[in-house]
Amino acid sequence: MLVDLQGPWSPLLGRLALSQIPYENPILAPLFVVVAIMGVAIIAALSYYGKWGYLWREWLTTVDHKKIGIMYIIIGLVMLFRGFMDGLMIRTQQAMAVGPDAAGYMGALHGYLTPYHFGQIYSAHGVIMILLAATPLLVGIMNIIVPIQVGARDMAYPYLNAVGLWITAAAAVLVMASLFVGDFSHNGWFGIAPIFELPYSPGVGVDYWMWVMQLAALGSTLGSINILATIVKMRAPGMTWLRLPIFTWASLATNIIALTSFPALTVALALIGFDRYLGTHFFTAGLGGNLMLYTDLFWLWGHPEVYFVILPAFGMLSEIIPTFSEKPLFGYVTMVLATFGIAGVSWAVWLHHFFTMGAGPAVISFFSVATMLVGIPTGVKVFNWAFTMYRGRLRFETPMLWSIGSLFLLLVGGLTGMMLAFPAINYMVHNSVFVIAHFHSMLLMIVYAIFGAVTYWWPKIFGFKLNEAWGKAVFWLFTAGTVGVFVPMYTLGFMGMTRRLDYVFNTQWQPLLDVQMLGIAFYSLSVLAFLGLLYVSIRDRAKSWVSHDAWGTTHSVEWMTPSPVPFYNFAVVPHINARDEWSWRKEHGFTDLRPDHYEDIHMPKNTGIPLILGTLTLLLGFGLTWRIWWLCALSLALIIAVVIIRSFDTDTGYIIPADEVERMERAHHERAQAAVELPEAGVPGGVTAYGQDKPAAKGEALGSSGISSPEGSRA
Amino acid sequence: MSHDDPLQHPEVQVASGRGYLLTFLISTLLMGVSLLLVANHAMPPFGLMLVLSLCAGLAVIVQIYFLMHMDLSETHIWNTVALVLTIPLFILAIGLTAWMFSTLYERTMVMLPSMHGMAGMVH
Amino acid sequence: MSSSTSKALDPSSVELWDHSHHHHDVISTRTFGFWLYMLSDAMIFAVLFAAWEVLSYSHNFAGGPTPANFVEPGYVFLQTLALFTSVLAYGFTMVALKNGNKAGVISGLWGALILGGAFLALDINDVVHLVGMGITPERSGGLSAFFILTQTHALHILFGLLWMLVMLVQVSRFGFTADVVGRLLSLRLFWHFQAVVWVFVFVFVYLRGMLI
Repeated sequence: MLVDLQGPWSPLLGRLALSQIPYENPILAPLFVVVAIMGVAIIAALSYYGKWGYLWREWLTTVDHKKIGIMYIIIGLVMLFRGFMDGLMIRTQQAMAVGPDAAGYMGALHGYLTPYHFGQIYSAHGVIMILLAATPLLVGIMNIIVPIQVGARDMAYPYLNAVGLWITAAAAVLVMASLFVGDFSHNGWFGIAPIFELPYSPGVGVDYWMWVMQLAALGSTLGSINILATIVKMRAPGMTWLRLPIFTWASLATNIIALTSFPALTVALALIGFDRYLGTHFFTAGLGGNLMLYTDLFWLWGHPEVYFVILPAFGMLSEIIPTFSEKPLFGYVTMVLATFGIAGVSWAVWLHHFFTMGAGPAVISFFSVATMLVGIPTGVKVFNWAFTMYRGRLRFETPMLWSIGSLFLLLVGGLTGMMLAFPAINYMVHNSVFVIAHFHSMLLMIVYAIFGAVTYWWPKIFGFKLNEAWGKAVFWLFTAGTVGVFVPMYTLGFMGMTRRLDYVFNTQWQPLLDVQMLGIAFYSLSVLAFLGLLYVSIRDRAKSWVSHDAWGTTHSVEWMTPSPVPFYNFAVVPHINARDEWSWRKEHGFTDLRPDHYEDIHMPKNTGIPLILGTLTLLLGFGLTWRIWWLCALSLALIIAVVIIRSFDTDTGYIIPADEVERMERAHHERAQAAVELPEAGVPGGVTAYGQDKPAAKGEALGSSGISSPEGSRA
Repeated sequence: MSHDDPLQHPEVQVASGRGYLLTFLISTLLMGVSLLLVANHAMPPFGLMLVLSLCAGLAVIVQIYFLMHMDLSETHIWNTVALVLTIPLFILAIGLTAWMFSTLYERTMVMLPSMHGMAGMVH
Repeated sequence: MSSSTSKALDPSSVELWDHSHHHHDVISTRTFGFWLYMLSDAMIFAVLFAAWEVLSYSHNFAGGPTPANFVEPGYVFLQTLALFTSVLAYGFTMVALKNGNKAGVISGLWGALILGGAFLALDINDVVHLVGMGITPERSGGLSAFFILTQTHALHILFGLLWMLVMLVQVSRFGFTADVVGRLLSLRLFWHFQAVVWVFVFVFVYLRGMLI
């Protein structure tokens, strides 16, 4: 081997050895037992109810963008929970290990986590939350909504869509595997040179970290190609650029960023890989390497990445706020320009993550000014949302609560971000928890927007609304948690607390750390409330079926489909006549959504190839991490072979004949008629589009013409 | 398009043997000139890099237009737009990196007499 | 249906559903997506060039061999010729495609394949020769960057050649279906783009390296 590996290596197993399994770790060993039991229970349940066929046909081999999006969201939620557990452990350790007299448990000198373990936890927390929780959640929502919003039947490349999903799943499995086989990286989520070099991190942790991030990056890059091609090439006729729904614009900007910036991450990590596997000197402290080059290349990706996660959140707010203000979005064109302004400037600011590196004053000033410039288009957006709400008829249902909470967090996070843009301030608070509080405010802004979007679009995808009372409970508990954890954190940052402390030396910080534990308690309750929300909503779904316009005052194309959306999205592709097409149709009385004719529909077939590719990618990542060379060679060869073989498959689609389409549409119509309930009091709408000839069960009260919004609410 | 003959697609029909040959000749010529200039140390390094960059830039522009058909026609406009949006990012990534590290070296590197000057962009 | 709000438009003047039976353009959707992938590939090269830029100062060679010590101008120019003629051959393949000339496409693909293979053979020979002399990527940061950048390009050439092989089989077997034509067009974008990347690699890595 070209490098000096510490520890055993064998041709068959690479660096794998029984000693790499943490039998004796008091946290991991019981965790493994729990996970194993849950796994067995799931398999047993699937077998008992005979659901394997269903699972394979409907989910594992699907290329339907809606199902793929749902699976992305499931991955995101599961990983969000895992990331939350990591965060909980960090907070608990920091609250316990305060001062030299702090007690130590389970082998730790203070608190209950050894530094060795603590380092892995905060590294995993960062990687998981950003790349495996936030990103899949956002990608999942974009996956579901964008094709319907542009009036398409599916993404431009349905097969590629599935491949991206399973590669992301492989990354998630790989990071979970690091819990039970070997260690994860201790090097933070973004990596610090030269600690990630082999002599300083001789274990497999950094290798796990590298390959998890590479797989996640690959999934995101493939996904971005898909969304961009869909938006550019598959818009419904009549959908000119200025009629594009605002969330679709946000997705466009987001994926331009993703496409152009993820390669930087790929290269930065690959160069570490070359150092660790081939003994090159990209980032070594001698023989011509350059440590700071890594930081530069990483943040070249890292900064556009944060805009990659925030722009879809902005798009979601731009969809939710107009609906619950019963007004169209204020300043559509400036919103679009602001979005692209943010995306463009985001490419010229990355040095602000390492102001303290020591570049010249001209360089630092340039990046500082550029960073501050981003605040201008962001401010435009905030004012546009405010003006949308101004003189609107505000309804504070759960999605709106999440959106307003998101705006507050944007304010706090954005203003502290502006503070950090000043090098003078930055030098003082660099690497303190002030920075952590800032970016968590921003990330929580995104999480709030995601929760709002999930609640908002849930009825469209599943056909029933989530329980309103439980939804609000989750919101308030989660908000209490956010306030409890992060407000003290800003204070602690100013008081000098640095990040990543496994032992807190200053006992004066104890009260603030305890307040943060209170915040964690609220977060934990909110997780339970979320589970309760899901249970209650699904249990009571028969009582909360909705028609296609679930909220009554929605405005864009996706609300023109039945709820839940059929697998082909539209029986006939709509012709678009205006921005906010659905509002336009409501306004002019075209609320009958039965098309005037039916056509054959061409749909892509299901295929198991993406799942196979995902599995092979997982094996490749695992093999590379553990340096099992035969496994790497074999899985790489198989991946190439499978891709080539698949390209010879000419039978990848099928046709649904027009009368079959008509039959399915009629079934939707009848189901909607039978099951639609009037929404709760105070919510106008619940239009039943399917006909004035058969009045809806209880819909007559709103007027048989089926118009949802009363006169005058369209400003 | 799925019912039409794929060979009639505009992206197929745009192929031009003459354009490809022209591109080949110009690129080869420019690369040859660059090579000769460097091999003969015809100018001081800074001027040499400038001329080389011009040759490379010219070759690439010819290739992008004649070889890859990146123009504003309806068939290719989106490809061109995507390219035009990417070029500044390419330049920023390399240019800003170069700038920040050259200032870093000025400020942090110990100048040993054996090094052939670190001022400016001289490597 | 009549509307109780104002602004009722005459329904017959408004188009609500797509009647045009327009089938979306499968081929250009495919090539556009592939071009987007190429742009992300271009960004990979951008970042590699940025790394090379930073690692090509004289101290980055740690007193060891620099490209000026081992780059042979004539040899690299030969590589350039091999690659550019391969690109030209693929260009003629596209002209044959335009004329529906299957035999022309197949021989053009063979030409591009062989010439590209010549490029790769020259490159591999060069690397083996250098490693034999102890000029390896592990010698210094500057050499690491030099090797990785040049060999990343070579890796792309390898994948391109593999793709050409697959296309030879597909053209023979399936003829000019929409999928096959779409793939040939994507391969054109890929292969011709390698010429662009090579200009950058040739000038800013090999030639520039000769000045260090």
